[in-house]
Amino acid sequence: MSILDKLPEAIRIQLPEAPLFSGKTDLHDDGTFGEQWLVIMEEEVSVWRLNQKISTWKIDQFTDARIVNGIGGGTLIADTKNGPIVLLRYTASLTSVFGFAAKLMAAVAKGEERPVASEKEFPLQCPKCRQPLPEGTQTCPNCRNNGKVIGRMLQYAKPYKLQMGIAAVMLVLTTLVELVPPYLTKIMLDDVLGPKDLSSNLLWIVLGFGATMLVMSVMQTVRGLIGVWVGSKLMGDLRGDIYKALMRLSLAFFDRRQTSQFIGRVNSDSEAMRQFMTDGIIWCAGETLRVIAIFTIMFNLDWRLTLLAMLPMPIMVFVSTKLWPMIGRRWYQQWRSIFRLNVLVGDSLQGIRVVKAFGQEKTEMSRYEGANRDVVRNNIRIEGLWQGVFPLFSLVAGTGTLLIWYYGGWSVLRSEMSLGVLMALITYLGMLLGPLQWISQMINWASQALSAADRVFEIMDTPSDVPDSLDPVVLDRVKGDVVFHNVTYGYEKHHPVLKQVSLNVKAGEMIGLVGHSGAGKSTFINLICRFYDTDEGSIHIDGIDLRNISQTDIRKQIGVVLQETFLFDGTIWENIAYSKPDATPEEVMRAAKIANAHDFIVRLPDGYDTRVGERGHKLSGGEKQRVSIARAIIHDPRILILDEATASVDTETERQIQEAISRLVKGRTTFAIAHRLSTLRNADRLVVLERGKIAEVGTHEELLTQQGAYFKLVEAQKELSKIKGVEG
Amino acid sequence: METKDPYEINILQPESVSLCRGAGGVFQGVIEGKSYDELVVFRAFPFLYTTKYISIRNLKEDEVGIVRDLEELDSESRIELEKELQFRYFLPKVLRVDSIKSKTDLWIWELQTHLGPTRISMRNLHEHMQFPGGNRIILTDTNGKRCEISDWKALDGHSRKQLSDVI
Repeated sequence: MSILDKLPEAIRIQLPEAPLFSGKTDLHDDGTFGEQWLVIMEEEVSVWRLNQKISTWKIDQFTDARIVNGIGGGTLIADTKNGPIVLLRYTASLTSVFGFAAKLMAAVAKGEERPVASEKEFPLQCPKCRQPLPEGTQTCPNCRNNGKVIGRMLQYAKPYKLQMGIAAVMLVLTTLVELVPPYLTKIMLDDVLGPKDLSSNLLWIVLGFGATMLVMSVMQTVRGLIGVWVGSKLMGDLRGDIYKALMRLSLAFFDRRQTSQFIGRVNSDSEAMRQFMTDGIIWCAGETLRVIAIFTIMFNLDWRLTLLAMLPMPIMVFVSTKLWPMIGRRWYQQWRSIFRLNVLVGDSLQGIRVVKAFGQEKTEMSRYEGANRDVVRNNIRIEGLWQGVFPLFSLVAGTGTLLIWYYGGWSVLRSEMSLGVLMALITYLGMLLGPLQWISQMINWASQALSAADRVFEIMDTPSDVPDSLDPVVLDRVKGDVVFHNVTYGYEKHHPVLKQVSLNVKAGEMIGLVGHSGAGKSTFINLICRFYDTDEGSIHIDGIDLRNISQTDIRKQIGVVLQETFLFDGTIWENIAYSKPDATPEEVMRAAKIANAHDFIVRLPDGYDTRVGERGHKLSGGEKQRVSIARAIIHDPRILILDEATASVDTETERQIQEAISRLVKGRTTFAIAHRLSTLRNADRLVVLERGKIAEVGTHEELLTQQGAYFKLVEAQKELSKIKGVEG
Repeated sequence: METKDPYEINILQPESVSLCRGAGGVFQGVIEGKSYDELVVFRAFPFLYTTKYISIRNLKEDEVGIVRDLEELDSESRIELEKELQFRYFLPKVLRVDSIKSKTDLWIWELQTHLGPTRISMRNLHEHMQFPGGNRIILTDTNGKRCEISDWKALDGHSRKQLSDVI
């Protein structure tokens, strides 16, 4: 695997010593595309173009080095006593390379410990085609072929080898039996009807027709049943695997995508793959077999006429190879427009309250209409193409029949050929048409299935951003010490949300996280839960790096009460016992009691058996919140996370929830985010975040006397509550 | 000096803005009488208004003010700001689409842009093509590199033919 481009020899020989680092950028200083090389040595930094040194600086002039990232690209800057200097510019794909270069230069300039390049710092390229590799994968999608995708799809059919084998045997038999009737026709015409032979095999021949019909229908039924059985099983396996893959993926994957698209993916893509594997492959094999058999018989009957009939075949093959890519692209277009439509429906239905509240039904309808029009247009395009192809194929194939009629007819008239043979040839040719039409159907199926398989495997192949360590530390009950060590993280790597955050939290301490929205509070919490991995630095629980603990173990120690309380479809009982399904009724009630939820639950007509969630009873925001607190309590976590747990409830409910929370936090390490600063009064320490950095740490009183960022926040909120006329 | 309402957008008066490029090639300037060693620029509406509503920020990314329209500035400031925007919003304009090839699950675009020829690759079209309105298309590479087709209907026949299959 090539990590970095090698410095050209022409530059290398001009250097007095081996460079510390060399990297190729893809932009010139004026922002146009072009190659330049950055070479970092012990004493100096230089930039080269076309093997010529174009600029050079002494490292001891530098006080620092950094990258400034824009959109789609960035700039490598060195700070000097006389102001900053632009060293070079690059496009986004090289961000990590020059990010490392900046770190290295800064370390050399300041005489600090030099960073070691890890593979993670550099974009990976396929050694064969120079295309960038998708993060975390080793296989280049470009150099992968369709054959492999099909092969991988077929892996799913493996468990059903036996059934598919039987279906295949049936298929061979049906195909052979199907070829009998035209031959019987020939015998009928030539030996019975032609000579008007009354001694007569007529009855026997008709019986033969009957027998073949019977055998065929029986075998078709059996084959069909096997197909349905195998198909449903396959489909079930596929759906299961896709869902499993989805569950395995990290939050970061879902942040970047609309979730509604996956509903379609799980169902329709697995259906397309299933169709290809059962119907598609069986048909394909069967029809190929049929074509070969028919040709053999036809050649035996009259090889010259058969050759004539085959004249249009090359045209058909040529046309279908031209059509195949076009159809594939149009299918993808069609899929994309349906996908957009689904996303639109999903979005507006989820936000139906907002739509109604702002009276925007009309706008939504017109948005839908636009997307709908697209679907209709693409549908017509693909189906139209489809409908056009079908008759075209028949027409071309039909010319073959015409040729046989004409030349065969002459042969019969000249008594060079019997009428029976001519009729048999024409029937066989008609049977050939079927499979040839199926070729295009196969193309259709295969292309749909391939693109579906691509999308499905894309999900399955996406590596989790938070991989479990191969050899995780076994974690029993932790004490709850949490240490942040120089943590930097961004949802997009070049755009850090948390920068160099260090914090030492003792077991049992309650930490209040304060700051403006977007300051990084939620990110801070997400990192403790290890929904994401830090880009730099590390987080330790009881002195163990989070990355070395398996995710199930971490989550066992952590309880969360989130701002958006999500209750699953099920009873209140099931929701409270979500993380501990073997909880006893007493445990559940005790948890609910601590959460101030027991009383209202018991008063409900169905008590703990009340169905909640999407299809169930509507709980109020505060009630839901208390159920979710009970859920956290029964989990009995060592580390507790409260993310705006009391947002959007009235004061009385807030008091009840506060009460519940104060019972909950006892003896646990707690991280709480609250909009109302008053709710954090109980916190042992407050951490004020500003633009991803820790601005202040201290108790409420300490921070107030400091009159810093926290003081400002408190003042601003006092101001606000004065306006609202409620307590601050 | 009067204190400004921190919740008011500070639209800069064109005559109070003087932008230039420092000796090291860094974008800097004097704004409302205060001199800044290094300035960062943001487009408030990168798609809708590319030359209007430019947020000028200091190194800490605190907003100094907003330039309402590039055209209002003096010529040196305008040229430098334009240049800086182009550096920061690296978005080559596509002049011609040489080819769009799909290989298994990678779409490879060979493009001619106003900054030279380039190639971008994307895993799929539905997540990497944006249609911000009109006939504009924003293409985003798997690595975050972006290219813009400002009006695909205005491209030459060859390019349109390539595009017609993917739009």
